[in-house]
Amino acid sequence: MKPSTNQLVEHFFRHESANLIAVLTRAFGIRRLDLIEDMVQVAMLEAMHAWKQRGVPDQPAAWIHRVTKNRILDSLRREKTCEKAITLSGQSIDEQESIVDQWLEEEQIPDSLLRMMFVCCHPTLERKTQIALTLKTLCGFGIPEIARGLLLPNETIKKRIQRAKISLAESNVKPELPSADQLTLRLDVVHDVLYLMFNEGYSTSHGTEPIRDDICEEAARLCHLLCESPCSVPTSKALLALLLFHAARLDARTDEDGAVILLEDQDRSKWDRRLICVAQSWLAKSKTDQPTTIHLEAAIAMQHCIAPSVKQTNWETIVILYSRLLQIRESPIYTLNRAIALGQAGDTREAMAQLQSLRNREDMKSYLLLDCALARMHELEGNTTEAIDSYLIALSKAVAPHEKELLEKKLRKLAE
Amino acid sequence: MAKFMFLQRGACESPPEMTPEQMEAGMKAWMDWVKNGTDEGWLLDPGSPLGGTGAVVKPDLSVIDGPFAESKELVGGYSIVEAANLAEACELAKQTMKLAGGGKIEVREFANVGQ
Amino acid sequence: MSKFMFVYRGGHEDMEQISPEQMQQVMQMWMDWIQGGTEAGWMIDGGDALKPGGAIVNSDLSVTDGPFAESKELVGGYSMVDAPDLAAAIELAKSSPMPKSGGTVEVRELPNLGKQE
Repeated sequence: MKPSTNQLVEHFFRHESANLIAVLTRAFGIRRLDLIEDMVQVAMLEAMHAWKQRGVPDQPAAWIHRVTKNRILDSLRREKTCEKAITLSGQSIDEQESIVDQWLEEEQIPDSLLRMMFVCCHPTLERKTQIALTLKTLCGFGIPEIARGLLLPNETIKKRIQRAKISLAESNVKPELPSADQLTLRLDVVHDVLYLMFNEGYSTSHGTEPIRDDICEEAARLCHLLCESPCSVPTSKALLALLLFHAARLDARTDEDGAVILLEDQDRSKWDRRLICVAQSWLAKSKTDQPTTIHLEAAIAMQHCIAPSVKQTNWETIVILYSRLLQIRESPIYTLNRAIALGQAGDTREAMAQLQSLRNREDMKSYLLLDCALARMHELEGNTTEAIDSYLIALSKAVAPHEKELLEKKLRKLAE
Repeated sequence: MAKFMFLQRGACESPPEMTPEQMEAGMKAWMDWVKNGTDEGWLLDPGSPLGGTGAVVKPDLSVIDGPFAESKELVGGYSIVEAANLAEACELAKQTMKLAGGGKIEVREFANVGQ
Repeated sequence: MSKFMFVYRGGHEDMEQISPEQMQQVMQMWMDWIQGGTEAGWMIDGGDALKPGGAIVNSDLSVTDGPFAESKELVGGYSMVDAPDLAAAIELAKSSPMPKSGGTVEVRELPNLGKQE
């Protein structure tokens, strides 16, 4: 007998575990989350064991759903107290079973995931906890994976998630979609969490790991899910555009050794054109009378993505977009980036003046990208000596090995 | 229906002295078992006895030669049957035990449920 | 050529910790190994995994619980391979994903029942 050559889609186990946790939590409540997670884990292991030699069945998702559902129902039936709890909510376990079956149907799953998204991003939780919980329950990440991705000890992540579960149960949070009057407020949190989650994966300030790309991918996946739902607002779509513009450049951002390559040195042929097109269409769909910082950031990311080179980038437009960002929210990072754009657009003198004034700010003292920006301006003016000096200052502030490596590379290039 | 594996363990290692006639009767009983099982459909694979020698590959890739430490538990052969449930499979194993005449039969369900 | 049975025991002791992604990787490793062997011709039957638990039928026809799922000696599955001799079969066993998962592979020769190739 020939073994099946079936291959599972990428991240099948991860996503099915998220689907099951979302549906079962919706059915049995947050208080059951630990039990649900255990049962999902057991069912997944069973699937792995059963399929590894014989191959994958025709409908692997249905297989896992059935096994998990049976396990959880068995375990609930065994608990006498639960009998009461379920009758209180007006449903017997059998009634519950047919509801779970419905919710497990493919087209019904996004609704459960969305509810879970609002649970994980519940305003009573701290931002960091929201991110950890989202990665665990909605992305199917293991604790060690989250710890590696967020550069924190396993124990910290474990405690954070455990605390979150207790807090959600105590506040009696229900896996429901927010009411109309709450929606904007709750969506702001979700957007923020997805944005930060993506940044966690994207930021290379602590080295590279494949898991970090996965975090980016998951943030974009969840954002896409949100955008396809009636809950989404124009900002959701702008956020998706922003994440996809960044994601399109993921592969070009590091070399074979995992060292970071800055925007100006990236091989633009490695950018994912298809993803850029998708991002553009989401940005088009995000049109609104009141653009948010996310809209403007996405518009800036698009300008970079569609430019054939650093030189041919529409820096004037980028300056305008940063000016509008600064009108909405004062931020030294926006000021810094606006100054770089100004310099690239030709006004290096004004750019230098603004960068120098940023140097006086206490919160920018250890920010090495400021010194890099100054170095860049000196380079544009043709002052190699000053450029080297600024890069050396940046180097003295660098902590992570790959930051040092990047700056040393810059310095070597200038010395030639 | 579910699929089960019979693992015969520790069957009499040195068979008692048997007359050719007894041996023939023993052989015939096994052959009947195979024929009946196959005809009735519950015997999917009569399997095979396993040689008393062999080797074990350990996680560090070191190799231990047989014979094995716990020879009482040594798997001496296997068969594959089909049955409605574990209890029914055990009934079939009892029939088989009468032929094996010693040792134990471990009855194990295949992991591939509902495929 | 002789036929050998690989009897898999133990492995995967850290199951509560393994992430869904890792499970998928373990599974893929097995499927690739079996497919490779099937294409190369030495894998006669990728075999199957057995559920933990079950029953023991004793010689007095009594039925007892067991084997214990926690046991390192628990048979977790089997495969059938073709190899010129025991040494070659051992090499194939080494190439299996089982040792990587912390389990053992028992290599057992099937008696040649007088059938010629």
